[in-house]
Amino acid sequence: MKTIVVGSLESSDCLITLTPASETTIDIESVVYDAFGDQIRAVIEAVLSRHHLDDVHIRCQDKGALDYAIEARLETAIRRYKEANHGS
Amino acid sequence: MARSYLFIPGDVPRMLQNMDVFDADALIVDFEDAIADTAKDEARDLTRAFLTKHGKNVPPLYIRINAVDTSAFATDVASLPTDVAGVVLPKTDLNALARFRATHEEMKKAPPKIIALIETPRALFDVLAIADDPLVVGLMLGGEDLTSAIGAERTAARTEIATARGLIVLAAAAAEIDAIDTPYPVVDDITGLMRDIDQSRAFGFDAKACIHPNHVDAINRAFVPSATAIDEAERIVAMHEKTKSMRFSLDGKMVDKPIITRAKALLKRAKQGADDA
Repeated sequence: MKTIVVGSLESSDCLITLTPASETTIDIESVVYDAFGDQIRAVIEAVLSRHHLDDVHIRCQDKGALDYAIEARLETAIRRYKEANHGS
Repeated sequence: MARSYLFIPGDVPRMLQNMDVFDADALIVDFEDAIADTAKDEARDLTRAFLTKHGKNVPPLYIRINAVDTSAFATDVASLPTDVAGVVLPKTDLNALARFRATHEEMKKAPPKIIALIETPRALFDVLAIADDPLVVGLMLGGEDLTSAIGAERTAARTEIATARGLIVLAAAAAEIDAIDTPYPVVDDITGLMRDIDQSRAFGFDAKACIHPNHVDAINRAFVPSATAIDEAERIVAMHEKTKSMRFSLDGKMVDKPIITRAKALLKRAKQGADDA
């Protein structure tokens, strides 16, 4: 089972790491966690709801990314994760 | 009629989010040379998400997709956002245009407008036919790739691309589309940039591409006509409108249709520059 890493730690971006796990969990580190932590989690959960993943640990290291960037990075990561670990 | 075309990488959120503050007349989001082969999907996903959420008020935007002979091309076509002005097609030649059309037909997609990137020796021998293609709205010189392809050294005088510059301007003028000059590749060399812009103008290019936001302002200012040229164009257009004639004498010089057309285009470019000021 492979770990997938997408994005960067540059300003306005985020680094998404997907690691195989027994259940889906979300870990968020953000420079603006107090103000936007709940919003970041909501974006991640919204993307997850479009996919059927129940076996992945999601780590989001946020450097002030807007919602669209978090969403896009996560979409790329999930597609790669499925290709690498589920063969689809 | 854009004066400046700024390339920005498609996989950098900071650049995408700031695209409207760079003051470029048009933007080219790059999926090709600026993006590693392993990050093409990141650029596609990020650009599509950005345009969906924040793409309403951005300048005219083109996407430089990957060349038709690459593995990334078909996916670029399949996932191209619909709300772009067009694509910049690398290594355009007649075969590339045919494959571009065929791929869109296979996917049952309407092909977008193309800025043809002329950067191979073969393309320069086909450049008029490329310019005449109904999908092609502009010719852009890809100076770096062309220089490599012919095995030349890049020189300060840009002698190695002089023939290409001339052919592209002539073909674009014949087809009545825009001629866009190659970017100046040295980011911090403003003296060299200004010399390169002077050459672009002297050859007759309508616009210039750039790879750094710091080059945009100089290009925009350079491609605005001088006060003397504006005055002459205004008098030509005024005389034409007064006489309804396509052939007359002004200041002892004969004026006919191409000069009237050029005067109108010059005034349009001048107005755009004034609106931006």
